[in-house]
This record gives sequence, structure tokens and C-alpha cells, in this order.
Amino acid sequence: MSETFKLPLLEIEEFSLANGLKVVLNRDDAIPVVSVAVYYNVGSRNEREGRTGFAHLFEHMMFQGSENVPKAGHFQHVMKAGGTMNGTTSSERTNYYETLPASQLPLALWLESDRMRSLAVTQENLDNQREAVKEEKRLRYDNQPYGQIFDLINEMIYKNFANSHSTIGSMEHLDDATVEDVQEFFRIYYAPDNAVLVISGAFDSATAKDLVETYFGDIPSQPAPPLLDVSEPPEVAANYKEWEDKLAPFPAFLIGWKIPPRRTPEFNALFLVGKILYDGESSRLYQKLVKGDESVIQLFGFTDERRGPSSIFVGAIPKPEKDLSKIRETIMHEIHDLSAHGPTAEEMEKIENQLINDSVRMRQSSMSRAQQIAEFALYDGDPTLINSQLDELLAVTGDQIRHAVGVYLNTENRALLDVVPATNSQQKQGAH
Amino acid sequence: MTPELRKNPPAPLAPVAFDIPKPYETTLENGLRVVLIENERLPLVSYRLAFTSGDINDPADATGMTSAMASMLTEGTEEFTSLQLAEKIERLGASISASASDDFTIVAASALSLYSTEVLHLLAEVVLRPTFPENELDLYRRNTIENLKFQRSQPGFLAGEQSARLIYGDHPYSKVSPKAADIEKLDRDMIVRFHATRLVPNNAMMIVVGDVQPDELISELNDVFGDWQRGSDITHKFDSPPVRNSRSLTIVDRPGSAQSNIVLCNLGVKRTDPDYFPLIVMNQVLGAGASSRIFMNLREEKGYTYGAYTRLEAKKLAGEFEATAEVRTAVTGDSLKEFFYELDRIRNEKVGDEELSDAKNFLTGVFPLRAETQEGLTNLIVNQHLYGLPADYLQTYREHINSVTADEVQRVAARLVRPDEMAIVIVGDAEEVLPQARAYADSLEIFDTEGIVQDEAKYVKTESEETANVAGKWKLVIDFQGQQLPVSLTLEQIEDNVTGSLETMLGNGEIADGKVTGNRLTAMAKAEMQGQGIEFTILGRIDGDTMTGTLTAPIVPDPLPFTGTRS
Repeated sequence: MSETFKLPLLEIEEFSLANGLKVVLNRDDAIPVVSVAVYYNVGSRNEREGRTGFAHLFEHMMFQGSENVPKAGHFQHVMKAGGTMNGTTSSERTNYYETLPASQLPLALWLESDRMRSLAVTQENLDNQREAVKEEKRLRYDNQPYGQIFDLINEMIYKNFANSHSTIGSMEHLDDATVEDVQEFFRIYYAPDNAVLVISGAFDSATAKDLVETYFGDIPSQPAPPLLDVSEPPEVAANYKEWEDKLAPFPAFLIGWKIPPRRTPEFNALFLVGKILYDGESSRLYQKLVKGDESVIQLFGFTDERRGPSSIFVGAIPKPEKDLSKIRETIMHEIHDLSAHGPTAEEMEKIENQLINDSVRMRQSSMSRAQQIAEFALYDGDPTLINSQLDELLAVTGDQIRHAVGVYLNTENRALLDVVPATNSQQKQGAH
Repeated sequence: MTPELRKNPPAPLAPVAFDIPKPYETTLENGLRVVLIENERLPLVSYRLAFTSGDINDPADATGMTSAMASMLTEGTEEFTSLQLAEKIERLGASISASASDDFTIVAASALSLYSTEVLHLLAEVVLRPTFPENELDLYRRNTIENLKFQRSQPGFLAGEQSARLIYGDHPYSKVSPKAADIEKLDRDMIVRFHATRLVPNNAMMIVVGDVQPDELISELNDVFGDWQRGSDITHKFDSPPVRNSRSLTIVDRPGSAQSNIVLCNLGVKRTDPDYFPLIVMNQVLGAGASSRIFMNLREEKGYTYGAYTRLEAKKLAGEFEATAEVRTAVTGDSLKEFFYELDRIRNEKVGDEELSDAKNFLTGVFPLRAETQEGLTNLIVNQHLYGLPADYLQTYREHINSVTADEVQRVAARLVRPDEMAIVIVGDAEEVLPQARAYADSLEIFDTEGIVQDEAKYVKTESEETANVAGKWKLVIDFQGQQLPVSLTLEQIEDNVTGSLETMLGNGEIADGKVTGNRLTAMAKAEMQGQGIEFTILGRIDGDTMTGTLTAPIVPDPLPFTGTRS
């Protein structure tokens, strides 16, 4: 099927400004909208000890005004132009993006360049955003059943502080952040030579280039940020932990494995393993656990894609009275089977069609194109990977999948987190 | 670029026209309406077979029937088992899903257009020939009951359950989910009969958007749906939602909550209300987005919350207006104050020209963004047709928005936003929430998370109570994540004012701003611990020479419980 299907190629044009800002243009005028994405090469992995949560707190500060944009003016300008916008922080990067009617490209570039050039850092803004971040932490993590399990398991998987600590950070460290910290962080990491700018959608290429040069050309570059070591030994930091969750109505568990970095052949193979094990109702674990054994309420899994050592997770919320250790045996049995026999021909066909379908769908929205292109430009230095990534994944063989499962998943080298509702923590939920 | 030129936002480039194409429409002989938009941009196709009945059309004695029937469509057919269906669909890289909302039941399929015929046949198979196997139904029943239990751990669900009950009363929109007992009652024969009477072509609409040939598609639709027999039309009469004439407070007690989920709501309008356009402009000014008044006030100025919004939910027969935020427990009362300030302001003052044009520019500007994906475009078309909006609705949407005036905004604000008859729903720690929120409402009810009414005396201190005497030396034991930490308090009291000192293993501090009200102590303590200044809030309940309560510090996310005795 892949021989007969031609994925429409995206038009990619890349250049750099004299100050080191990397720029990628992806023209597609099917719909008169334009998306702008700025990716800074800084994430929670760059945080120092005692300042966890800082990259994310800083992301909030980027909406608090700059030389010519008042506090919260960023929201206002984008929204009154008919656009949408946001920013997010991961271990790898901090991104800022907006989608606007095509005619508003200059506004997006003006806004992004003003905060790259001249962020306004005041004590008042910092105090206010610190409170907003604390509410975000309470809302998404502390006040949600199972809200903290992914932060906990990362501490069990990774040994290196850069990889193991949470992006949301601790309340105590957030309180410790000072205005000077914020200013220093801005100078080191928010420089044009530490960022990628992507424009995707309906625009004229020459106009876009002029606008980029006009708005970003004279922002001074900075010395390169300190080198970062994200290396990890192969073994996980901890094999087992029990966590009392006072909001959880049921016990649950999460298993995590440490796997090679994104875009390595091993990572690609394990990414596809997810489609076989836990994606969709025809997946092996859905059929075994939700259907066959009828033992779980919710089954989930995903890969966490990083430039350094990455991870893959499988978790479940079992039905009450079900034996958790038996469910885990079933999971390990399927993993063992996959490492012994590899995927079936039907599973390989499913993977192929799903990969093609996902790639076509991603191409519909200017924002999803801009984000994927920005990742390839920032992480790999090659935005055209957007056009070859599908082939890279389609080239993974069943044998590579079998081998990768055998080396990385079918082992004792894994982290297991047991979530116990605090109200019945005395009743132990089976052996692990 | 010079600093001068950077001062002001740049002018936009020339606008680019955007139009949503008008669909091709036809009706098959059996009454099935077909709406088709050919879209060759990418090799994709989206199908929506939409039925104009939903959860509110459940039989009176079978709540949950419509959703159960919809979920079971993909769990086995005359030709395929549940597993075979899942494998066939996913092996094409496609998806088929069926679900019911209050007003509609929608079977959705999407795929690479290369597989448009295969997916259409599978869609027809699940809609026309489902078998509702007994074992799959049994699993559905048990999983749904578990999920109903799970939902009760989610504060958002608990708030939505109460607000729907308060707004819609005996109207079926009040039921946000069935009860376990409803689900247990659903049996296969009932579902088979229900499917035969409800999923009929004269109650349905087939909407197709994608890279397909119209002639071929119509002929394929005739092939797969031609024999589908008409049924009777579905009509229902429902009780009207209740008339509210005072402000009520409903607390769902979730002890240990780090936050209060606040919902303020009153009855709104149905989707075809003639004021719909001025209403969405008003809602945009007030609270729909991150540049609206409520967000700017509660998050950006006060830092009470991660997000605060208003929402206009307009369904087929009625609707709801609500203002929501999740705030930290200590500012629950302050948040209510700011909410009511903004709700009054939009009613009492005319919006300024700039604020009005900003809201209109947002709504007209994001419109093309909503049509960027095939999914988005399909949803616009589906909603237009299901709600029976005019044929030129999508084409004239932006004109309608642009013609809204400031006077209309104020008129519809007075009509829709009714603070004096709002229901206040708060999911949070009732003991902490009650004293902060009680003054904002005329009446009060408290529930636990299972929906059982609680005696408010459990949470309220009586006004006539004598002021307790807290003076003396207290030994407290704090429970910090299972560890028992000792703390000593030395308190002095003059009338209801309390001062004193505090000693811990990590450092000592002073108590300022202490107050005793009845048998309750509230105090702020400032301590120096390992070189850092830390502020504590102490909340205690005194009973003779014992005291129980919580200690809150910024370094720990949740209040720490303590018990103590006076020596």
C-alpha cells in the first residue's frame, strides 16, 4: 500500500538571520490563516536544582508584557485580531504559538519579536504568575486523582536530575524564584540564536522574509547556554514504589521503561509497539484486559519522546477486587510474546495505514504543521524531516520491533508505581 | 527596525476572502437526507450519520438507553464480532465511533479517501445490523457502572451534576449521567426494539465532507442505505425547567480539596434563540476567553485561579449560562465577590466601543480557523443542520456578528445574566468554603460526593457560642505525610484577639493576627525555618483542653491535620 500512496509533500524554505535565529517557512494557502511558532531550546531539563518548575513559570512571564506590549497585552492583541494562542513547556523546549487570519502575520511577528527582545520582568508580575502557576499545579496535579503519577514515575525511571524532575516543579522552589533569576534565565535562553521561528499557512514568501528580518533582525545574539548532560545509565533509578493517593477512588498502576532517544531506530520501533499493545480497540492489551479478562476500567499507554533517553508507559485502573499482579502478568506475557514472535502481518498492515492516516491528518492544520516542523528544526537541525518522517517509520520491520521489545521491555529493568487509595492503604493489593 | 516603529502594532496586510462552500443536498427515497461537501484538499473523507434524538429522548423507564444503544453499535453485527469490527476498522487506519449527546446521536467515521467505500460499508453495517450480543452488553453494563463510580472522584463532574439539577429541574437536561440502577435495568430485548424504532432514515441525516465523487457517493449511499425502512417520527413533550427567584448555595463536600470548583449558573437560551448573536458577543466580552473581563480580573489581576470563564450552552430546547473557576480554597469568597462584580457590571454598564469591536473581531477572525481541518468543517455543517439553522448560516455568520451593537449587548446581558437568581455550586472542603460563601446566597444545601444531603450543622458554628479561651501552652502533633511532627504553641488572649509564639524542630516563630470566633481559632504564624521565612495559617477547633485543626503552609500543597492538648 505504501508504494501506491504518495503523501503530498510540504513546501519548506529555511534560512537563518545574522543573529542566529533559524527561520522555516511552510507555505500552504488552502485556508487564509497563518500560524507562527517560536520554539526556544530550553525546558525543564535545563533547570538547576532548587529551581524546579522555573522553565514553566518563565513561560507564564512571557505573557506579562514587554517594551511595547502591556501586561496581558499579548492575549488581547491576538484575540482581537481573531486569533488563538498559547505556550507550553516540556522537558525539551518551551514553545509559543499563535494562529491568525492570514492578513495578521505582521502582528504575530511584532508580538513574538517584542518579547524576545525586551521582556518586562517585574516583582509584581512574578508574584502574580507564581500564584497562577500554583493554581495550575493544584488543578492539574494535586487536586486530581492520579494527577501526580507521571511526575512520580519519571523520578523512578531517570537517575539524572535533568531528566527526572517534574516540569511543574515544587511549590517551595516556585516560592524561591526571584526577579533576578527570571532576568538571568531570559538572557541565557531566550536569545535568537537559541530559538527556531516557523511560519506555516497562507502568506507570500518574500513578504514574510522581509517581515522576519524587520522584526527579528536586530535582536542581539547571546553566548551559547551552558552545556547540558542528559546521559543516563541503562538501569532505572527505582524498580518499585507505592504511592498513597487520597483522591483516587480505585487502586491503579503504571509501568515505565527507559528507552533510547527519539528518532533512533529503537525508539521508532518501540513507538510502533505502542500501536500494537495499547492503541485502539483492536490492540492486544485492550482485547486481553478490557475485553477477555474484563479486569480493567481504563487502560492507557504512551511514549515520552526526548532528545536524550526517553520512556514508554503502560498503565491501568483495574476493576475493584481484581488482582493487580495478574493484570501485570498479562501485560508482561504479551510483551514476552512480542519479543519472541514479533508482530503479525495484520498488525504491520494496521501500523502502516495508521501512520499514513496520521501523517495526512497532521497536514490539515497550519498549527500542527508549524509545531512538527519546529521540532525537527530545533532537535535535528532539519525541518525537511517532516517530509521523510513517514518513510522512516514505514521502514521499521517486524523483526526490528521484535528485537527492540526483547532488549528494552521484556526485562526486569522497569519502574512500577502502585497507586493505593489512601482510605484503604492497609489492604495491600497483591504482590508486585 | 527603529524603537519608534516598534511602538505600535503593525497594520494588517490586505484581507484574504474566505467562504465556506454551500453543500450539495438531496434526499434518498426512504427519507434519508444527504448533505455533501466535496473537498479535494487532502485525500481524506469524513462521514457523520446523525440522528435527531439523543439522551433526553430515552424512554421514561429506561434512562441511559440511547447512550447504551449507541455504544453497543460497534460491539457486534450480523457479519462481524466486536473484535473483527475493531480489527477491520483499525487495519484501514480509519475510525468509527458512535455516541449520544443530550439532543443527538451521531455515528462518525473518517478515513483516507482511498478507503471511503470500505468505511462506508462498515458504517452501514454497525448502524443497520447490530446484534447487541449479550456478553458485550453485560460488559458495557459493568464498565459503565464502574465509570459512574469513577466520575464521582472528579470535582468537575460533581459540579456539573448539581448545576444541571438546579437549572433544569424535571427537564431531562438535568440528567448528566444515568444511575447504576438505570444501567442494571437495560436488557438486550429493550435495546433491540429501541434500535429498530429510533435509528430510522426519516430521523437521520448523512453528512459527508471529503475527497469523494458526488455521483459515485450518492450511488453508494443508495446501495448501502436503499433498503433501510422508514419508521415513525419521534415526538416528545418535556416539563419546563423551573423558574428561579432567589440565589442558592449548594456545596458538595470534598474534604481535603486543595481547590474550590465554583459554578454560578442560571437558565439560558436554546440554540435557535433570535438573540444568539448578541449573546455570544456579550459572552465574549464577559468571560468566554483569555482576554475577557472575568479572566483578566480573577487570573491576571488577582491570581486566584489558573482559569476563569463564562459559558453559554445553548441546546436544542433550552440552555444554560454559567461562570466557572477552580480557585484555591482560601479565596473562595473573594472569587465570588469578583464574579458578582463582573456579572453586575456587564448588565449595568454599556460596553465600550473598543471592547465591543475586540470581541467581534475575535469571533469573526477565528471563524476560518474553525474550518481549517476536515473535522472542524464537518462539525460546522453538522451543527448547522442538526439545530435547523438557516441555509446561509455559515455564509452570513460574520455579518451577523458584525452588526451587533453595544445597546443589544447590554439588553441581552440583562436578559441572560441574572445574578439574583443564580445557583452557586461549589465543590470543595465544605468546612472551609461555608463561612466564606454563605453570605452570598439566600439558601443553603450541602451534599457529600455521593449526592447524599448532609446536615449543615456539621459544618456551621453557631453564632451565639461563647468565645473560647485558648490562652496557655499547647502541644500539637502534625501529621505530615504519615510522620508525626511535634509543635508547641504559647498563646495569649485579650477578648477575641490572640497572640503568641510557636516552636518547631525546624525553627521558631511568632503568631500575629490571631482571632477566636466561638470555638474556632484562626491565626497567622510567621516562622524562620532553616534560614527561610515561612507563613503558616492555623485553623483550630477548641474543645476544652483539646484542639484539632489544620495548618497550611505555602511549601506543602494541602492543609496538614493536627491534634493537640493544653498542658
